[in-house]
Amino acid sequence: MKKAFAILLSNPLSVLGLVLIAFVVLSAVFADVITPFPSHRGAVVDFANFNQPPHWPNIFGTDLVGRDLFTRIIYAYRVSLLMGLFVLLIAPPVGTVIGLMAGYMGPKTGYALNRLTDVFLSVPPLVLAMAIMGVLKPTLTNGMLAITVMWWPWYARLVYNITRAERVEGYVLAAEVIGASKWHIMFREILPNCLPAVITKMTLDFGFVILMASSLSFLGLGVQPPTPDLGSMVAEGAKYLPDSWWLTVFPGLAILIAVFGFNLLGDALRDMLEAE
Amino acid sequence: MAPEFSKRLGAALLAATCLTTTLAAAQPALAHGVLRLDESAPGDIDPATGNDNADTILSINLYDALVAPKQGGTGYVPLLARSWSTEDGLTYTVDLRDDVTFLSGNPMTAEDVVFSLDRMKALGQGVSYLFDKVESAKAVDAHTVQFTLSSKFAPFVAALVRLPIFDKKTVMDHLEPGDTQMGDWGTKWLSQHSAGTGAYSVVSHNPQEETVMQRNPDYFLGFDEAAPDTVRLRYSLEPATVRTLIAQGEHDISSQWLPPEVMSALAKGGAQLLSEPAAGAFYIKFNTRKPPLDDANCRLALANAFDYASALKLVAVSKDISQGTAPTGLIPKGLMGADDESHTLKQDMAKAKEYLSQCKYTPSDYTLDISWIGEVPLEERFALLLQANFTQLGFKAEIRKMPWALFASQVTSPETTPMISQVLNTTATGDPDALLYNMYHSSAAGTWASPEWLKDDQVDSLLDEGRTETDPEKRDAIYHQLNDRLMALAPSINMYDAQEVFAGSTRISAPALSDPEKKFPLSPFGFTFRLIDVKD
Amino acid sequence: MPPALRAVLGKLITTLIVLFGVSILIFCIARIIPGDPVRIALGPNASQDMVDALRAQMHLDAPLVTQYVYFLRDVLHGDFGMSLYSKRPVIADIAQFLPATLELMIVAGIIMVGVGLPMGILAARTRDRWPDHLVRVITLLGVSAPGFVWAVVLMLIFAYFVPIFPIAGRISNSFQIPQVTGFMLVDTLLAGNLAAFADAFRHIILPACALAVTGIGQSARLTRANMVETYRKPYAEMAQSYGFPAGRIARRYVFKPSLIPSLTVIGLDFASMLGGAFLVESVFAWPGLSRYGVNVILVKDLNGIVGTVLVIAATFLIMNIIVDLLVWWLNPRFRLGGRS
Repeated sequence: MKKAFAILLSNPLSVLGLVLIAFVVLSAVFADVITPFPSHRGAVVDFANFNQPPHWPNIFGTDLVGRDLFTRIIYAYRVSLLMGLFVLLIAPPVGTVIGLMAGYMGPKTGYALNRLTDVFLSVPPLVLAMAIMGVLKPTLTNGMLAITVMWWPWYARLVYNITRAERVEGYVLAAEVIGASKWHIMFREILPNCLPAVITKMTLDFGFVILMASSLSFLGLGVQPPTPDLGSMVAEGAKYLPDSWWLTVFPGLAILIAVFGFNLLGDALRDMLEAE
Repeated sequence: MAPEFSKRLGAALLAATCLTTTLAAAQPALAHGVLRLDESAPGDIDPATGNDNADTILSINLYDALVAPKQGGTGYVPLLARSWSTEDGLTYTVDLRDDVTFLSGNPMTAEDVVFSLDRMKALGQGVSYLFDKVESAKAVDAHTVQFTLSSKFAPFVAALVRLPIFDKKTVMDHLEPGDTQMGDWGTKWLSQHSAGTGAYSVVSHNPQEETVMQRNPDYFLGFDEAAPDTVRLRYSLEPATVRTLIAQGEHDISSQWLPPEVMSALAKGGAQLLSEPAAGAFYIKFNTRKPPLDDANCRLALANAFDYASALKLVAVSKDISQGTAPTGLIPKGLMGADDESHTLKQDMAKAKEYLSQCKYTPSDYTLDISWIGEVPLEERFALLLQANFTQLGFKAEIRKMPWALFASQVTSPETTPMISQVLNTTATGDPDALLYNMYHSSAAGTWASPEWLKDDQVDSLLDEGRTETDPEKRDAIYHQLNDRLMALAPSINMYDAQEVFAGSTRISAPALSDPEKKFPLSPFGFTFRLIDVKD
Repeated sequence: MPPALRAVLGKLITTLIVLFGVSILIFCIARIIPGDPVRIALGPNASQDMVDALRAQMHLDAPLVTQYVYFLRDVLHGDFGMSLYSKRPVIADIAQFLPATLELMIVAGIIMVGVGLPMGILAARTRDRWPDHLVRVITLLGVSAPGFVWAVVLMLIFAYFVPIFPIAGRISNSFQIPQVTGFMLVDTLLAGNLAAFADAFRHIILPACALAVTGIGQSARLTRANMVETYRKPYAEMAQSYGFPAGRIARRYVFKPSLIPSLTVIGLDFASMLGGAFLVESVFAWPGLSRYGVNVILVKDLNGIVGTVLVIAATFLIMNIIVDLLVWWLNPRFRLGGRS
C-alpha cells in the first residue's frame, strides 16, 4: 500500500490530478462560502445586468437572466459529482457481475445474459431514458437511475470479453483442477484481472455521465432548472457564440477541469493496482 | 493585417492537410441569383399536410391560392381568382383567372380548385380545420367555382388564403395505393415534388437538410429582374452556424428563431434587420380550472403584477426593432377588435394588490407551477420573470421545464394542464377568428392553443357571433366587445404582440420585410421569394 | 460445416432474436413515452374529428397487440409506415439519412483507430518516459470534454476565426452529384468529379474529427493499458530477456493479444456513434440519422422512432458480429479449437 502511494505521488501528473479533484470537491462542498452570490443558484433574475461579459464582481460574467456565472458553475459541480458518483457506484458492479457470470457460468447462462445485454446496448440510451421518464417522475434521483440503467451493459460487455480470454489461462485452469468453487474463481481469480480495464473505463466514463445527464435535462429528465447543470450551460451557451463566449467557455472549462482531474487520478489508480 | 495573417495561416494549414490541397481552387463561387435562408426542420412541401412556418413559406412560393393578403394594407386581394361574391353568406361564387397554367403546362381550371378542397378535407391535416364549415365546392364552368357552406362563416374568404391549388391531372397520374378510393391522394409523390402554379418549383427536397427551388419561368405574374433564380431553404441550422454563415456572406436571411442577442451582434457587424408582423402574440396562459386561478380576481392580480417592460427588454434586438411590441389587450394590434395604443398595458402593483384582496384564496397557500417548453430557451427567461413577479404578491412559484411532446399531451385534460404555460399563438389567415376561437371557445379546449380551459358563456356567444356576422363594422364591434370581456376575465396575459425579426445579409433587398408601406399584414408572406431582390 | 461459417450463422440467428426483442421493447417504449403524436402532428387547431380520423388510420385506437401485428406485417413488406415528422415514408427517411451518418462514423472511426492505436502503442513502448506522459496528457484532455464541445471548438477555430473549412452540410451548393450510394465521398468518385470529392472531404473533416476526439483518447488509453499488461506476461518477458528487437516484441508478442480487449471497446464505441452523434450532427448541420432520431423522439413520431431504433440496433448488432469475429480470429486459442 505504501509502495502504491509512493508511485502515486512520484508522478507529477497524478499529483496534478489529485489537486484538480481536491479543488473541484472542495469548491463544491464549500460553495456557500466561496461564491459571491449563493442565491443565484436558484431562480433569481436581474434584468438590469444580464448577458454581461466578465467584470467585477461577476468574474465569469452573467447569464441570460443576470445571474452570476461563477456561482452557478461552482454549484453545478455539486450536481455533477453526485451524478457521477451515483452512476459509477452502481453501474460498474452490476455490469461486472453480469459480465463475469456471462463469461464463466456456462453456455446457457452466458447466452441468455449476453442477449439481455445486447438488447439494452442496441437501444439508443436517449430512447431508454425517455421511456423511463414516461413511467417515473422526472427527478434527479430518477434521472440518475435512468443513466445507470443504460450504463451497466457497457461494463457487462467489457468484463465478459476479458473473462472469456482469461478463463483458459493457466491460473484459472489450475484453480479448477484443485477444485476451487465457481464463485471463488470468478471473483478471486478472474475479477482482479478485469479491474484495470474496468477502472480505466470508469474514469473515462465520468465525463460521459456528466454529458449524458445534460442531454437528459434538456429533454426534461434529471436536473431541473433553475438548478445549474454544466452540460446544459454549455449546450445553451453555444447558441450565443462567438459573441457571448463566456456563457460557453467557463462551463466548458469547468467540465474539462473536473473530468481531466478524474482521468489523471484514474490513471494513477490503475498504476497502483498494477503495482500491488 | 489580421485577416491577411489569418488567410496565410489558413493557407498553411490547408496545405498541411494533404488531401485538401487540390481544392484551394475549387472553392465554389457564389452562384448568380441564389437566395439562402433557413427555418426549423422539417420542411413539408405538401401544403395540404404542412402547418408550421417553414411549410407555409414553401406553400406560398410553390403554390398559389385563390386570394392573398393585401401587400401594404389590410384585407385580401384576388390571386388565382378574379373576383368573388356571395348573396346570403352560405354560397360563394368565385371567378377564376383563365390565363394561369401549372408547372406541367396544364391550364388551371375550376376542376383543380374542387380537387384541392376535396384533398384538403379528405386528408384532414394541416390547416384543413379552416374549411370545416365548407360543405362542398363544385365547378359551375371551366373558370367558375361555387363553394357551399354548412353555416354562415364570415372568415371564409380569409381562409381561402390557405387553400393552395393543386394540378389535379398531375396528382392523379401519381396516385399510389392507400386507404381511400383516391389511393393516397398523391401524398407520397407530393412529399418530393410540387404540382402548383407557384413562382418556384422544387428541384430537390430533404426534410432535414434543405429544399432547393428554382424559378418557374412561365409564372403568370412574371418576375422582377433581380428576383432569385434559385432558392435554398435550409433546415435547423444552429444559431452559431447561422451567425458565422451570415458574417461570411454565405447565408442571406436567418429564421425568426435566432436569439435576439445573436441578431443584434449580426446587426452590429453590418447585417440588416428585417421584420414582419406575426399577427399573433406571446401569451401566458392560466389554467382557469385549478385554484387559485379559477378566481378571476386572482388572475387579474397576476396580470397586473406582470412586468411588461422587462419582457420587452428581453426580446429587443436593437433600439428600433424588437421581437415584440407593447400589448394593448388580449387581441393583438393589427387584428379586428384590437384596442389602440392608448390602452397599452403596464405593470401596476397597487391594482394587483387590490384585486388580490378580492380573491377568495390566500396566496401563500398555493404554489403556482410555471411551465416552459424545453425547445424554446427564451421561455426559461420568461418563466423566471413570472416567478419573480408572482412571488412579489406572496404566491409560491415553481418552474418546470418540459419537452414539447409532453406539453402537447398534458394540455388534453384540465387536471394535467400546467397552472401557467407559455404559448405563442398566431393566426393562419389574418382573421381574428382563426386565433381566438381555438383559444377561448369552450368547445375548442384541450389543445396547446387553449391551456386556459376557459368556459364563459358570453365569450362563447361573442365568438359565435363573430363567425357568422358578415358586416365588417359589426364584426369589429363584436371583437372589441370580446376583448373587453376577456380583459375582465384575464384567462391569459398578453406578454407582447409578436413581431417576427430576421437578420439579413446586405446582398439582398426585401421591401416586403423592411418597408412598412410594402409589408403584408400576415406572416410569412414577406417571404414571397419573387419580391426579394438579390444583388450580384 | 467449417467452424467459421457456423460461428457466423449462429451470430446471425442470435442477431435476429435480439432484433425481435428490440422491436417488441421499442414498440412498447414508443407508446409509453408521454405525448400524443397525432395531436402534435396536426397542430393546435385540429378538431377532435381530425385527430380521431388520423388515429384510426394509424391503428392507434387498436389494442397494443393488434398494433404490433399490423406493424410486423408492414415491416415484413419493407414498410415502416409514414413519418408524422417528415410526412414521408420512414423507409425513405432512413435511406436518405443513414448513409450520411454511416459515412461520418466510418471516417471518424478511421481517424479514431488511425490516431489512437499508434498513440497507445507509442505510450506503451515508452512507458514512464516523456512520450508516454505527453500522450497521456493529450489523450486525457481529449476525453475530458464531450464531443459537442470539441465540435464547437473546431467550428469556432477552423470555420470562424480561420475560415478554411466549410461549416455546414455535406457538399457545396455548386456541385450537383447524382445519388448512387448516398455516401458523398463514394458518389463524387463514381461521378468522376475529383473537385467535388475534395469538397465533400473538406466538409466531413471537422465533424468527423469532433466525433473522433473522445474515441482517440479512449482507444489510445486502452491500447496502452492492455499492452502494459501484456508486457508483464511471461512470454513477453522471456522474449525481452532473449534480447529480441523491441519493435518485433511490440508487434508480434504484445500488440496482437492486447488488441482483443481494446477492440471490443473500440467496436462498441464505434457502433454507439450512430445513436450518439446527434449533437455533433446538429452543430455541423449534418443531415444524418442520429439527428433525425432525436427529432422524431421529440415529436413522438411513433413510426419514426421504431424505424430508426431498429436500424440503429441492427447496425449495432452487425458491428458486434464483426468485432466478435475479429476477436475470434485474433485469439489463436479460439481459432484453433480450444475449449468453447
